[in-house]
Amino acid sequence: MPTAVNHAQANRYPKHYSSLRLMACLIVCYLSCVVGCGSDESKYFDWLTPRKVPPKIKLGILHSQTGTMGMSEMSLRHAEILAIEEINASGEFPDVEFESVVKDGRSRQDLFRRRARDLIDRENVDVIFGCWTSSDRKAVIDEIQNPTSIYVLGNKAASKQPLLFYPLQYEGAESHRNVFYFGSTPNQQILPAIDYFLDEQGGNKKRIFLLGSDYLYPKTANYIVKKYLQLKGLEAVGEAYVPLGHRDFAATLDAIRAAKPDLLLNTINGDSNIHFFNAFKASFPDPNTLPILSTSVGEDELRRLPPDVAQGHYAAWSYFQSIDTPANRQFVSKVKKAFGYDRVTDDPMEAAYLQVHLWKEAYRRAKSSEPDKIRAELEKGIEFDAPSGKVKVDPKTHHLYKRFRLGKIRPDRQFDLVYESKDWIAPDPFPSFAFPGWTCDWTRGGLQKGPPPAID
Amino acid sequence: MFYWIYDIPSASLAVLITGAFVLFSWLGTFLVRPVLRTFLRKRSDINDLIGYMLSCFGVFYGLLLGLLAVAAYQNFSSVETIVSKEASTLSALVRDVSAYPEPERTNMIWTLRDYTRYVVKYAWPAQKKGLVPEEGNIRMVAFHEQLIEFEPKTPGQQILHAEALRQFNNYLEARRLRLFSVTTSIPAVMWTVVLIGALMNIALVWMFDMKILNHLYLGGFLAAFMGLMIFLIASLDNPFRGELSISSQPFEDILTQLMEE
Repeated sequence: MPTAVNHAQANRYPKHYSSLRLMACLIVCYLSCVVGCGSDESKYFDWLTPRKVPPKIKLGILHSQTGTMGMSEMSLRHAEILAIEEINASGEFPDVEFESVVKDGRSRQDLFRRRARDLIDRENVDVIFGCWTSSDRKAVIDEIQNPTSIYVLGNKAASKQPLLFYPLQYEGAESHRNVFYFGSTPNQQILPAIDYFLDEQGGNKKRIFLLGSDYLYPKTANYIVKKYLQLKGLEAVGEAYVPLGHRDFAATLDAIRAAKPDLLLNTINGDSNIHFFNAFKASFPDPNTLPILSTSVGEDELRRLPPDVAQGHYAAWSYFQSIDTPANRQFVSKVKKAFGYDRVTDDPMEAAYLQVHLWKEAYRRAKSSEPDKIRAELEKGIEFDAPSGKVKVDPKTHHLYKRFRLGKIRPDRQFDLVYESKDWIAPDPFPSFAFPGWTCDWTRGGLQKGPPPAID
Repeated sequence: MFYWIYDIPSASLAVLITGAFVLFSWLGTFLVRPVLRTFLRKRSDINDLIGYMLSCFGVFYGLLLGLLAVAAYQNFSSVETIVSKEASTLSALVRDVSAYPEPERTNMIWTLRDYTRYVVKYAWPAQKKGLVPEEGNIRMVAFHEQLIEFEPKTPGQQILHAEALRQFNNYLEARRLRLFSVTTSIPAVMWTVVLIGALMNIALVWMFDMKILNHLYLGGFLAAFMGLMIFLIASLDNPFRGELSISSQPFEDILTQLMEE
């Protein structure tokens, strides 16, 4: 008798029983939602869960963004940021996010020092990717190794010394426990280029004139070149230095003309190159008669030079944008996609890019960003397939095994590769003919100093 | 304190806030009703009295909520205008700079590109977290250096340079206003008053003497509407936070334009 049962139920419960039951169900559903939010294992209520933010590891980037070096160092900063973005996007480390903390050295040595201090004390970074000029690098190294701030001396033990990753080719004659150098040393860049031109394939050029900016890098590099030439029974036919930013090259060109060289080794840095190349073209129109071999003119510098004045001259680097390999094509494409289709890549940019990836590789192996652990991993000789080819960290000197390449400037402001070393070249920051008694092996005691070299 | 709510999608947040208000209202009805009835049921005109009080109170509270919602919307709208103005000034600056001679043109375009990329990829996500992005300032200083280093050589360049400097100053002003609005929000004390007001409204509904089901419906509707209003104000309150926040699309458009310059 269904009707009788219904009547009985209707008498037993109030009329609004079903509505109350519905409300109770709604409350239970809602509470389940809220409780589900708090549970890590919740799958059904993920839509309500606040997004999880992975812990961050700060990576210091210290370059000039303003001042005379601002434009040059912008490219390095971009290469480093590109590498960090790539690592984050790769999903290789889902539990952490790498955050770039960028500081501006303003092309001033004192500010590089202060910003390095900020990165160490306030941002608490374990690594700094940065610097361009040797003076800035030395200021940062000094700050890392000899902390002077009141904060460090008065408040916390000065135990934490972050690593510095330096991406530029430089003069050598330096090695520090907490510094890794990813640019070429003279024996990987200048000396192989000299060898090429001394040889038959380079035209047996024995009369070399040394021209550079008046600061540390050109003077030390030329000191090494002079010693190297002595070793081969030769001598530079002339040597001249001009201040940074110099524009009037009339007297310099007179000196070159008087010395009658057949090769000009150019270590001028910065915008002076524009004025020098223009003046040189007027005096020596044929690059085959007196070629310039530059060590600081890359694709980025060429965009400021009229193509006709630079065409036919040479530059020595480890990387050129025109290297025709899939890895390099991919690198160039990434840079253009990220920072503009008119961007060019050059050797310092490639070194800035690969140094971040090498740090990442060390981090992956060490499972920690602590400087001591990263250094220990790097000292195992990590290799990386860079856009310029395979590179390897040298555990002894904290430099990089790299290839040497010689490029000839084309009308489109790129380089034709005219020579490439058969294999990578081991770095030697202290060539024995220039720095007798100096050795460096961080796996066995570190740096052994010899008599100080007589560099002017 | 309650900034975590901006990490929740808007639809979910609406359900969460509205549901919390309704649940609170219903629980109060079940728990408080028996207690209040023993005291208040003795008066036959209790519903008229509470109804009168609720309507009076509701007017003031409704005014408060309404004004707050309008203020939050106006603030949101004015920040949106600031962002649009900033983006259009930047776009004009890009046009001016594009007419400079080389190599200044390329250097300035690259610096502006660097800045715009930073705004889109780093500054906007930081603003979404309520942080004032700082690194853009350095890039603006770099651009300013390049701009003032340029020496016009022709009358045409002089006019162009003066216009670029004017646009740059306008841009800096709009940018500063945007950065100021990152941390602008309704003060905590006002939120406290709003929440206490909501509690008092709901508590007044608990005092009605009526059938349980009617009581739950009445309280539920009122609480749901208040929850929705508070969700609306909260969503509009911080213009750069949450799903309803101001988009970086105008800057993304400029970045696309700059990439091809």
